[in-house]
Amino acid sequence: MLLDATILFQIAGIGIITALIHTVLKQVGKEDIAQFVSLVGFIIVLVIVIHHLADLFQQIKSVFLLKGF
Amino acid sequence: MKWIGALILICTTTWIGFDMSNRLGDRTKQIRQFILSLQMIEAEVVYSQLTLQDIFHTVSNKTAYPINEFYRQMTHKLSDVVTDFLDVWDEALNRLMKVSALKKNEQEIIKQFGRSLGQHSSLQQQKHIALAIHHLERELDEALEQRDKYEKMMRSLGVLIGIFIVLILF
Repeated sequence: MLLDATILFQIAGIGIITALIHTVLKQVGKEDIAQFVSLVGFIIVLVIVIHHLADLFQQIKSVFLLKGF
Repeated sequence: MKWIGALILICTTTWIGFDMSNRLGDRTKQIRQFILSLQMIEAEVVYSQLTLQDIFHTVSNKTAYPINEFYRQMTHKLSDVVTDFLDVWDEALNRLMKVSALKKNEQEIIKQFGRSLGQHSSLQQQKHIALAIHHLERELDEALEQRDKYEKMMRSLGVLIGIFIVLILF
């Protein structure tokens, strides 16, 4: 349960920081880099989420005794 | 232990950000100092008509680091027998580029100025100095503009990227 909370905060933090970097870069007129940073942040979050989704599916498999399939 | 590592990481990136923004400010200061030193050379050439070595010596005493180091080195080198003045100038300039925040454009201007030094009458020389000062002032404007634009960005980006990396590694 505690683990879940840290993951939530981690993803939220990455989102906030990415948004801040995006704003700072956009203010000085580096729109292209700002877009790139947003994309990188999104991909990192996606990787984290997929990693944990894989865990979830593994769990479901073991619950329904499908481990051999 | 984890928190100490995170703190060190954030401190490091913050420091890098501040260093980069300081470098932007240093560039404008050093260009200004070089313009000042050129004006001194102009005054010496036109009014006191000393040798180049003596001129460099007085200028090195009146300017701040790292520009004074450049002129001190020139004074030192010119006290030996010199076959090619340009070689000495370029070498001292390369040394200056390593310790200062000056960029390629300024290097080129100073290099071109060295080509004209000691080749002409004092009136012609004065014109060449004025030209070099004019070019450097244009660079100064550009450097000022860049500093105003990117100084704050570098600082905040340093902190933000530090926190970002810490969050990813958490």
